[in-house]
Amino acid sequence: MLSYLVGAIFLLSSLQLAAHPVIYKGGTVLSSQSMEMFSDNQISYSFHQKWAAGINLWRFNEDDQSTEFQLLRVNHLLKRWNGDDYQGNIYLASGVGAAESRMGYIGGVEGDWETRTLYTSLKFMHFNSPKVADVSMTQGRIGYSPYEADFDKLQTWVMLQGMYMGQIERTVTVTPLLRFFYQNVLWEVGSSLRSEWFLNFMVHI
Amino acid sequence: MKVLVVIMSLFFSMAYAAEINVKVQGMVCSMCSQGIQKKFSAIKEVKSVQVDLTNKLVKLITNDGQNIEDAQIKKVITEAGYNVAAIERK
Repeated sequence: MLSYLVGAIFLLSSLQLAAHPVIYKGGTVLSSQSMEMFSDNQISYSFHQKWAAGINLWRFNEDDQSTEFQLLRVNHLLKRWNGDDYQGNIYLASGVGAAESRMGYIGGVEGDWETRTLYTSLKFMHFNSPKVADVSMTQGRIGYSPYEADFDKLQTWVMLQGMYMGQIERTVTVTPLLRFFYQNVLWEVGSSLRSEWFLNFMVHI
Repeated sequence: MKVLVVIMSLFFSMAYAAEINVKVQGMVCSMCSQGIQKKFSAIKEVKSVQVDLTNKLVKLITNDGQNIEDAQIKKVITEAGYNVAAIERK
């Protein structure tokens, strides 16, 4: 068990895999998102303004089958551009753990660029576990906020999300959604054009 | 000598709170800026923190007679993921 853990930590530090936000030093993120074809639950702690580590549970649902990844995960803010009216980021992340009682890995890269009223992001993630799963996910988003909310006000966004997971669904899943955040809480709700619900909840502690 | 001591005591007892305006780059999201308020609020010299996204300002009011060094302000802003563009003291 110890050697498994040491191996996992070593791999974790050497892989550059999936992406997720890194927040202020000392902050913790709890997040949960779900759709018919997947669910993603995470808790991560930012031990540096460029690094976060945590636990990630991914579940893929394909027909009547589901595959679950239970992972230790490290996220890295590779580059940030702070402008007067914008912020841009590139994140890398890696994860290693178990997938249906076998070793499982995830990894990817994510970029975003936002102002107070415009948002764009592109994310690529890959999930692999020999003989269990080999899944890639590409997700892109554009968003618009009709007003500029200040620090202590509710912010509302209208977003369009496109997601492609070729091994599970052959077509791009397009999901219009609404994003809200208020202080340290974010929630999103949407429905794909095939009428699949999309829900996301995140809190910074 | 006693008069001087009394005058100096009076002078120091009248020390005011400092008002510090910090211009911050990259502050476009209220949720992501929560760390700034949280970290400054934890500093004992700080009486209040106001984050103004419209003007990209963080306004700090210190407790009477107390102050914060520029280096400490820059450290908090950097650890929150942002850049300091300017620090103005009133």
